[in-house]
Amino acid sequence: MNTAATATKIPPSQHPYANIIYRLEAGGAMLPDTPENLMQIIGLYKAYAVPMDFYWRDLLYIAEQVFLDPLPFFKYFIPKEYLERHNHYAGDDADLRIWRGEATAHPELLEFIEKGELKMKLPRIFHHWWHDRINMEFAEECMRSMLWHRGMSTSVNQFDSYLDSDEYKANADRAIRAYFKGNPLMLGLHNAFPELFLEQCRQMSYYSNLGLFWEVMAPVFFEMSDLYDEGKIASVPDAMNFLVNGIFAIAGRPIYHHVYIRGECYEIIPKSKGFTWLYEAALPYVEAVFYRTSPFRGTKSYNAQAGQVPDDQKDFHYGVLYADKFPVGTAGIPPTLLAQDMLHFLPQYLVDYYQQYCRGEDDMLIQLAVSFQRSMYCVTSAVIQALRTALLYPLDDPNPKHLKANRAFFEAQMDRFLRPEARLRDIQNQNYR
Amino acid sequence: MLSLLIWLPIVGAALIGFTPGDVPARRARLGAVAIAGFLFLWTLWLLTQFNLSTAGPQLVEYLPWIQTLGLSYSLGIDGLSLPLVALTNLLVLVVVFSSDFAGQDAKPLQRPRLFYSLVLLISSGMAGALLAQNLLLFFLFYELELIPFYLLLVIWGGQRRDYAGMKFLIYTAVSGILILAAFLALNWLTGASSFDYDAIATEGLSQRTQLILLTVMLIGFGIKIPLVPLHTWLPDAYVEASTPTAILLGGVLAKLGTYGLVRFCLGLFPETWSLVSPGLSIIAAVCVLYGAMAAIAQKDIKRMVAYSSIGHMGYVLLGTAALTPLAMVGVVAQMVSHGLILALLFYLVGVVEAKVGTRELDVLNGLLNPIRGLPMTSALLILAGMASAGIPGMSGFIAEFLVFQGSFSTFPIPTLFCVVGTGLTAVYFVILL
Repeated sequence: MNTAATATKIPPSQHPYANIIYRLEAGGAMLPDTPENLMQIIGLYKAYAVPMDFYWRDLLYIAEQVFLDPLPFFKYFIPKEYLERHNHYAGDDADLRIWRGEATAHPELLEFIEKGELKMKLPRIFHHWWHDRINMEFAEECMRSMLWHRGMSTSVNQFDSYLDSDEYKANADRAIRAYFKGNPLMLGLHNAFPELFLEQCRQMSYYSNLGLFWEVMAPVFFEMSDLYDEGKIASVPDAMNFLVNGIFAIAGRPIYHHVYIRGECYEIIPKSKGFTWLYEAALPYVEAVFYRTSPFRGTKSYNAQAGQVPDDQKDFHYGVLYADKFPVGTAGIPPTLLAQDMLHFLPQYLVDYYQQYCRGEDDMLIQLAVSFQRSMYCVTSAVIQALRTALLYPLDDPNPKHLKANRAFFEAQMDRFLRPEARLRDIQNQNYR
Repeated sequence: MLSLLIWLPIVGAALIGFTPGDVPARRARLGAVAIAGFLFLWTLWLLTQFNLSTAGPQLVEYLPWIQTLGLSYSLGIDGLSLPLVALTNLLVLVVVFSSDFAGQDAKPLQRPRLFYSLVLLISSGMAGALLAQNLLLFFLFYELELIPFYLLLVIWGGQRRDYAGMKFLIYTAVSGILILAAFLALNWLTGASSFDYDAIATEGLSQRTQLILLTVMLIGFGIKIPLVPLHTWLPDAYVEASTPTAILLGGVLAKLGTYGLVRFCLGLFPETWSLVSPGLSIIAAVCVLYGAMAAIAQKDIKRMVAYSSIGHMGYVLLGTAALTPLAMVGVVAQMVSHGLILALLFYLVGVVEAKVGTRELDVLNGLLNPIRGLPMTSALLILAGMASAGIPGMSGFIAEFLVFQGSFSTFPIPTLFCVVGTGLTAVYFVILL
């Protein structure tokens, strides 16, 4: 399981990222294993998990309850039952208990919803108007990027092709008619333009998809933070391996889309279709959000003549692994929304850490965004290792041919980071902050 | 009342300059700020005492001094010198207050006692020169400026400060010699009993003599303003000067040249003026266009600002040449406006240089980023650049428009060229930003 062992069995790699490939072959992550890195990534998992706990609840609320509301003014005001909804991976009645904490919404989140940054108890609408709230738009942006990058990996992705099937259309049609029952205007619209609400319904299915994805990730991150506090995660590979194990434990969980209309459940994508978490939510999510997303309005010109944005969606490289974090806080930089959300929930040790560097409290938003990039490199490392485990051979395989196959897989993954925008080289350096 | 403006800073300079070295520098700074602040308040009070409805000098003070030389201590203030005195005292206060950039990453001011006493000496010299109603007394104060400015340049300046300081010293010394020669000749040729401003009348001189004297004086003051062929000391001196020195140089010293132009060249040779004014208007247009084009070519932001100063002094010359009442109001307005804008620009450029460590246009970028950039400085820089380029709503527009409106009837073509020059000013400030 160590570098020397692998290196002697097969010839050295010629790849520009050879050092990182050796680290991956030794069971490590893409970012160096230092206590500083570990502290940053775990702290950011914690800070990310709290807003994520809100994101998944609200995403499911929108997918299941708001559904096709033409004027969804209050879609970010989630009702009590969704805050009390039991996460399937936490609490005593969990399907698979990952986090040892409560299954209902995280206490820090509840406190924030109640008092906000103002630390004042006000009706939620005032907090909303004062923009003292969770930036739910960021979650919707992630959802939309999954929706827009549809058909990324048709070979493994069944969920996405199902959205175009006649079966789905029939299910959606039933739900749409039930939802607009007694509303001749909308029903007339639906009859005149049958694709109109169908496409909205597909979007709702992606709301549900992403909500179910994050329902898993939130407790995973909470548990990692707790384990770190208890000293049970002591290195970056520990953290990554926890993620890998989590991915396999949860891989088979169902992905579905249920809509509740007047107390009745409409199964637009029934659980019985057998769509699973790893292939239908996790991998498309990583591809869409970590790698691709869409160009930042404040960074790239969409001018067709300028040709700055690729013609082909598979060439998109604007995800968190490529993002320039220094302009966070500026106009036209979407990750600002998430950075602001995470800022509310930073653990104290990270606040103290950021105080010592750069501009201290003043540019904490950027420092945490850079740490967030590190932490997402750790998650991507976990995904790469999980894929290698699923598709290829163990790292300590004695057969050199198998090791070569692993090597080729890692090199192919690293090829994606050869473009200059990739921050892989930056995160190797602790002074990138 | 006026004497206080001259003697208080001298006494203050002596006190601060000769305090023993073990007195902490903060005391020296406090003392200098107190004196400069008092002087500024005193000027404000003078403003209230000023009678707007009478012509000629007010608040006159007269003491015979060395009668054999025709030198008398004769002070007075009028509508031309009052705004300039106010500007001087404001800028001296700003300079004294802000000279110690002792932030976290800037070096504290070296040799503060000497610095403050020199600045106060300059304040005294400026006030004396602006208030003097005796030609020889004016010359005394005019020369008194020289040494403190030279020291400020060579002690606190940039890398090539020796060269810049020497160039400045020689140029201004020559300027002084020419002015002295003209003053002496005036006294002898007109047979005036003293050097008092009122005592000198040029009616008796032949036009040719007047023209020669006027030309000598024009060159003398033209060096200080500076006019285009005589300007080469300026970019070096401004660029090599530290920020406070540059503020004083640009905001205060340049005004001495234009003040001399209006007061002595125009005031003493009213008949001959019409002979030279067409030529001057052309030189003015050349100044404006040359300053703007030279600024466009620069890669160093401080050098850009320095050339912008040459351009803006051109407007003063144009208005003076035109000699309509409106243009003369414009001239005074332009002097004050330029003093304020140039001080602001030099200050902001100084902040950028101190924080970023470079003045290179090709290296500086992204300073408007709200978190990692210098958003406040950059925003102010935009406003200052707009003011300098004559955007309506700012003092630069008022002054330039008065000058243009006043000059157009007399010299339409040079005025049009100057209007083109404001356009070019906007061009290089957009490049700078």
